[in-house]
Amino acid sequence: MSHKIGLTCIIDDDSMYVNLVKKIIEAKNLCQNLMVFQNGKDALNYFEAILTNLDKAAIPEIIFLDLNMPVMDGWEFLENFTKIKNNFGKIITLYIVSSSINPVDVERAKNINSVKDYLIKPVTIEDLESIFLNQST
Amino acid sequence: MLQNELFNNVIQDFNAGYWELYDDPDREVWSEKFYETIGYSKEEVSPTLDYFLEHLLHKEDVDVFRDNFLNYRKNSVNFKQHIRILSKQGEYKLFRCATNDELPVNIKSEVDLIFFFEIKLEPEQNITKDNFYYKETAQMTATGSWYVDFHKRKSYWDFETRRILEYPDDYIPSLKDSAIYYAKDSRQKAADLFFNCAMVGTPFNTEIKMVTANKRVFWVRAIGKPVYNENKEIIGIRGVFQDIDDIKTKELRLQKSIDIIASQNSRLFNFAHIVSHNLRSHTSNLSLLVQLIEGIDNPEEKIALIDEIKQISSSLNTTIEHLNEIVTIHTNRHQERKSVKFQNALNLVINGIGRMVSKSKTKIEADFKEIEEIDYIPAYLESILLNLITNAIKYKHPDRDPIINITTYIEGNNRYLKISDNGRGIDMKLFGDKIFGMYKTFHYNDDAVGIGLFLTKNQVESLNGKITVESEVDTGTTFIIEF
Repeated sequence: MSHKIGLTCIIDDDSMYVNLVKKIIEAKNLCQNLMVFQNGKDALNYFEAILTNLDKAAIPEIIFLDLNMPVMDGWEFLENFTKIKNNFGKIITLYIVSSSINPVDVERAKNINSVKDYLIKPVTIEDLESIFLNQST
Repeated sequence: MLQNELFNNVIQDFNAGYWELYDDPDREVWSEKFYETIGYSKEEVSPTLDYFLEHLLHKEDVDVFRDNFLNYRKNSVNFKQHIRILSKQGEYKLFRCATNDELPVNIKSEVDLIFFFEIKLEPEQNITKDNFYYKETAQMTATGSWYVDFHKRKSYWDFETRRILEYPDDYIPSLKDSAIYYAKDSRQKAADLFFNCAMVGTPFNTEIKMVTANKRVFWVRAIGKPVYNENKEIIGIRGVFQDIDDIKTKELRLQKSIDIIASQNSRLFNFAHIVSHNLRSHTSNLSLLVQLIEGIDNPEEKIALIDEIKQISSSLNTTIEHLNEIVTIHTNRHQERKSVKFQNALNLVINGIGRMVSKSKTKIEADFKEIEEIDYIPAYLESILLNLITNAIKYKHPDRDPIINITTYIEGNNRYLKISDNGRGIDMKLFGDKIFGMYKTFHYNDDAVGIGLFLTKNQVESLNGKITVESEVDTGTTFIIEF
């Protein structure tokens, strides 16, 4: 392992899920810091704000994005995020994590190049471990 | 002799007058029947060709008949001709006149004969016959013809046009006020069609709503085309109206069924999505939790995690209750409707949420004068009012106390319930298509669940109604329910 992931971002409105992932990350010691947004709008506001003062420590290396969320859903977030993602000076790997097994959603996600992969809930502890491992090597 | 008898029999069966032509000296003998048909006695006329041509035959027939007669007499050229003979009553009677060789039956006779078969009203009969078919066609297909004459500035209708438009037979259609023959919402269309046809000669073939004399609105197929004069100028419009009300009504009913099916299909799709998404999120959490518990050795931590199972199970329950509610709506739709007073339903709702209303200082203004009651499933009306009122209170404007205005009214053939508030409003551009979706929330309130409007929409639609929303941020929201 060359380095430990510094900051991971979860965008999901299911607090139970967020809570559990948090516990797994802590238990397995997968990354140093975790930030959580309950919907796409809050997350987008954050990313737009850090563009003005590029504090590298505040930019996550991994984003786990849910699709079904109130206020601003995952698709809308992706649309806006894709426009600004090259301005961070840092590679941000984005995973969609959704309980939707609708093939239309999976196909749509594959066609967005800022999406690294589409994970269907429930994610397994092994999935999470391998994502963090791959990212850090 | 025998032949003569046979001849006489045939002649009698013919029931026609005739001339026997004798030679040497040339003379004609008119049969008794001939005298009889034209009404003269033997003494009153002289049975000669000249007399006949001069006094009895219609002037227009003289030339041809003389020619035919003489040709037959001299050259034995048979002929057949229609002629008009003046009867004693002073009227011309129509006859088909033919020589014996031209007759359908081969009559052998020693003398030449010319027969005169009376044709009773034959020319008119032909017209009557055509008229009969035309009338039959017009009536059976309910198709009336009409003509608009630009020079005389007049409209002409046939009997069937009058019939389908329910005007009396002697009604004279008005060109100036022709708009009155069309339903209000079809007048512009009719005006455009006739204008284009008159000005640039565009023919039309369309479905349009017309109004009968008895103010009954019905569907008509209107076909029209321009009429030109020798100078290729448009001088009128000719066309037909066909009553297609039956077919059109069926078509519209079919379209309505298709709409209902489409909306039910979309609800079913929505429901499948809800089931897959909302149930799955709980089960996936459960499976994630179990993995976590398995990976932990510390018994105290394990017990702490079991508490989480309780939470998941309770949310799972809630979701299933919501799903159950939705399913119930659609099984309840056949439940008997009862007459419900709007005011009573509202009172029930306000009593139930009295604390919420008074705490938020909400003012509810209701006016049910236009429609006081409605046949509806009472529980639905209460649920609809409850959802829309609690929404209005939950999403009140931070700077003012909520005022909720509830009215019923009639517009056209439809009845409406309108509920407006002065709340913070919803950004229709962002959320317009999602407002009635399940688990869609548009505000940052923690108690936003996203089930209320979804249920409301389902309830309204299950009773064949419609719900729409208008909203403006910082001004308020208005929901309109069409029953």
